Amino acid sequence: MKEALIKTERLSKSFSNGGAMQHVLKNIDLTIYKGDFTVIMGASGAGKSTLLYALSGMDTPTLGKITVGEADISDFNSDQLAVFRKEHCGFVFQQIYLLDTMSVLDNVLAAGLLVSSEKKALVSRAKELFAAVGISEETQRKFPTQISGGEAQRVGIVRALINSPEILFADEPTGALNSKSGLDVLDTLTRFHEAGQSVVMVTHDMRSARRGNRILYIQDGVVMGECDLGKYKANDKARHEKLSAFLVEMGW
Amino acid sequence: MKRTMLLVRSNIRKAKGQTVAIIMLILLSSIMMNLWLMLSTDYMKNFERSHTKVNDGHVTIAAYTNEETFREFVTDMLSGSDEVTEFSVRDALCMPGSFSYGGGEIMASLVILEKDTALCADVGKAELTEESDLSSGIYLPMLYGSGDNYSVGDTIQLALGSETLEYTVCGFFNSPMMGSHNCGVTMMLLTEDKFRALSEGNAAYPSTCISLRLTDRTKSEEMKTLLLDGMAEAFPDVMFVSDSYEEVSESRYISSMICAGILSVMAFLVLLIGVVVISSNVANTIQDQMQNLGALKAVGYRSGQLVSSFVMQFVVISVLAAVIGCALSYCIFPAVSGMMVSQTGIPYQIRVLPVPFFATIGFVFSVVALTVLLSAKKIKKIEPITAIRQGVATHHFKKNAVPLDLTRLPLHAALAMKTASSGLKQNITIGITMLVLSLIIVFSGLMFENMIMDMQPFVDMFVGESADSCIDVNVSRESEFLSAMKTDSRVEKMHLHTNVNVQHLGGSLLPGIIYDDFSKFNNQNIVIEGRFPKYDNEVAIAAKYARENGLKVGDEIVLKAEGNEQTYLITGLTQLTSYLGKDCAMTREGYERIGTLSNASYYIDLTEDTDIDDFNSEVSGRFGNDINTALNIQAILEGSGGVYVALATVIVTAILFVSGIIVVFVMYLLVRTVLNGKKRDYGILKALGYTTGQLILQTALSFMPAVILSAAVGITVCAQIINPLTALFFSGVGIVKCTFTVPLMFNIFAGIGLVLFAFAAACLMSLRIKKIAPRALISGE
Repeated sequence: MKEALIKTERLSKSFSNGGAMQHVLKNIDLTIYKGDFTVIMGASGAGKSTLLYALSGMDTPTLGKITVGEADISDFNSDQLAVFRKEHCGFVFQQIYLLDTMSVLDNVLAAGLLVSSEKKALVSRAKELFAAVGISEETQRKFPTQISGGEAQRVGIVRALINSPEILFADEPTGALNSKSGLDVLDTLTRFHEAGQSVVMVTHDMRSARRGNRILYIQDGVVMGECDLGKYKANDKARHEKLSAFLVEMGW
Repeated sequence: MKRTMLLVRSNIRKAKGQTVAIIMLILLSSIMMNLWLMLSTDYMKNFERSHTKVNDGHVTIAAYTNEETFREFVTDMLSGSDEVTEFSVRDALCMPGSFSYGGGEIMASLVILEKDTALCADVGKAELTEESDLSSGIYLPMLYGSGDNYSVGDTIQLALGSETLEYTVCGFFNSPMMGSHNCGVTMMLLTEDKFRALSEGNAAYPSTCISLRLTDRTKSEEMKTLLLDGMAEAFPDVMFVSDSYEEVSESRYISSMICAGILSVMAFLVLLIGVVVISSNVANTIQDQMQNLGALKAVGYRSGQLVSSFVMQFVVISVLAAVIGCALSYCIFPAVSGMMVSQTGIPYQIRVLPVPFFATIGFVFSVVALTVLLSAKKIKKIEPITAIRQGVATHHFKKNAVPLDLTRLPLHAALAMKTASSGLKQNITIGITMLVLSLIIVFSGLMFENMIMDMQPFVDMFVGESADSCIDVNVSRESEFLSAMKTDSRVEKMHLHTNVNVQHLGGSLLPGIIYDDFSKFNNQNIVIEGRFPKYDNEVAIAAKYARENGLKVGDEIVLKAEGNEQTYLITGLTQLTSYLGKDCAMTREGYERIGTLSNASYYIDLTEDTDIDDFNSEVSGRFGNDINTALNIQAILEGSGGVYVALATVIVTAILFVSGIIVVFVMYLLVRTVLNGKKRDYGILKALGYTTGQLILQTALSFMPAVILSAAVGITVCAQIINPLTALFFSGVGIVKCTFTVPLMFNIFAGIGLVLFAFAAACLMSLRIKKIAPRALISGE
């Protein structure tokens, strides 16, 4: 029996668009499990990023309930959500969003020191993570504008993992990268997942989606279906075909 | 032009908040600049207008005699002078007198005239400003009707010599040359019956009031000296009091000169802050809009058009603010004028003054246009393609300031320091603002400590020597008086302090202080260079006069009095404002080489529990008519100094209020700039889990290094230079060296207050961070 990390009940999100309401998420009931690499797929505008940011406490739902453990975060104010994010979540963004005014190491420590005051232990963990994603000592002292996109995204992953979050949210993490860099990032995410990290990733890229063990397909704000791909194996043709069939079925 | 205007409108729309803040700074500066120009041009000219209106004299002399031989001598003298265009010689009653004013007492050389005679004199007539049906009583200069002083129907007690007379106030009049105790001569008018009654008594001397107009009013001082010299030579026993156009036109406007000076300094300082803020704003806008500017260049806008759009944008809002500021200054001017009238005592009719208006607008326009032109120069360097693709790098991070793995600072302080270290323009703006505000604070502290809290330092510097009582006794009974004082247990200390006039040959008339023992002076700082004269061939002269005439300690000058001349060695330079920097001091023996004292004034300090008025009354009663005056100096200081203390209080309050406004607006602009520039960063930090409160704290803290450093440096430096600056400021009234106490604790606490206020303002302005949602990262808001 998998342990539930996040549960939603009738989760809805609407935006006002020039006076007209746009319903992006509609009555979504969903459970995210511990240890899963959950991939949310769907066409552009389907609501996948909105769902990701609602699940992660980055945004508040219009209606419905989001429960993390015992806490109902849908009623949290912005500061409570901030505390929730720093204690439970890690984020990897498509646009990377490192702070240009800080060195690579400081970008990671700025997130870490918010949770822990054990600077020595934190720096040591950061170094381990950097080593794990292939970021050299020299690169750690550079500024984000001085490193490549792939390196920057791997720094983003280190930043997301520095506080050992219960769940890592990744929004199109390879979207702004070239093929080689994208692959490096996916490999990194896979490695951390295999080490026990729960991941929720939004993508519309099949190559990225294959890394997940659970695929959710969202369309017009509704979860249309899900597919269990099982444990990731490289060059697994059957896995690819299963995912393709699922997506065809969903109307991809 | 049309394209430029489109850009201007777009820029203003995008930065409404900054526009409002810049408008407020320019508005404040323009209000003060226009007020300053109005005060220093038209308001000063008001004296001349008023003087011309009543055909007042350029020289006024009151002689304590009404002898026909004297009047014939004077008439011949004035008729024979090519310099004198017209004159009047009138009957008057003269006597130094005192009366209640401003919560204290005023002492003045009174020249009392019969009302109808005074109103229809050819030269030096009085002009009624308030009348009544009361037919018997006194008319006072309108100065004494200002504020909470006298009103029609009130009773005034006039102490003349040993007599105190009561009169009903029938009205008020304006007399430019004799309408204030700041003039050498103060006129009062009595109705015919009261004038006759006073003439028949012994309280005042039957006298002659002479007013004359000159072909060249700039020679009034010279002519006054010449006339007094001639009269004194011919009538050595007659006492004279006098004033000249040059003296009075300055002394009656001391408060407006001070106020105008402070307004001018404040106006330029606020404009400086405004200009720094505009410059910083232009640079930040260019940085933020780099890609847009590149795009505009790509579609055909020329650099000149883009620069013009910036110039237009700031010039339009600045000129608009300046126009509103000038208009508002007319709303404030009645209050300022009302405040000034309590010192000048000359009515002022407020009118529209185009020159100050256009000068203010023109100056603001030029300064702002030049600033924006220089700040926007870098637009010319923008290459459209580079700008569109990635923006032109405006930051080159070479050093990771405050590395988080090495610093001992707490996280938020460390992040704030990172922001602070990357904001050079922001720090410069803060630095200049805080330096300006430090100067204002230190100046306020100086006024607070040396005027408002304790008036003595102000009195010491501007008045010179003070005591509890001043008793003027005829020399014939001086020994008896001194014996009585020596045995009086209420007398703590006493010294001679008599005023005389001596002529510096080849120079001006120098009112002099004659003393017997300078070591008994309460204020040893009257001589600011060299020493008090000790021997009979020594003199100390005013430092301002010495500078103007190229004289120094060690030089010799020839002084003349009562027709006798002697050479004196200058042993010291004095600083007194009573005669606007034209005076001298010497020993009694020194003066007696050229003149004889007919009366001697003694400054007396009494024991603490002695009532000064009771003491004076008792002494006056004992010596009768041989006591010419017995003054309560403390009450006089309170009365005349009260006006200046009230003025200082208003000024200090106003400038501290303006400083508060400046801090708020500058902080608003800086925080807005930071928030605009770091919106993305704040979104990222919020996504990582930073709360709004933590980010507000970081933002406010990021300003603090510059705020604390510049406030500390500013207050330290300003505390060192404030006395020389104040001396420079008051140099017009004879101050060359200012020795005010710089209040250390006030400055420290004011500095801390300034820092805390800036921090609170920054926190308050940073509340907008609440509106930044991490969601903005998703939607790209």
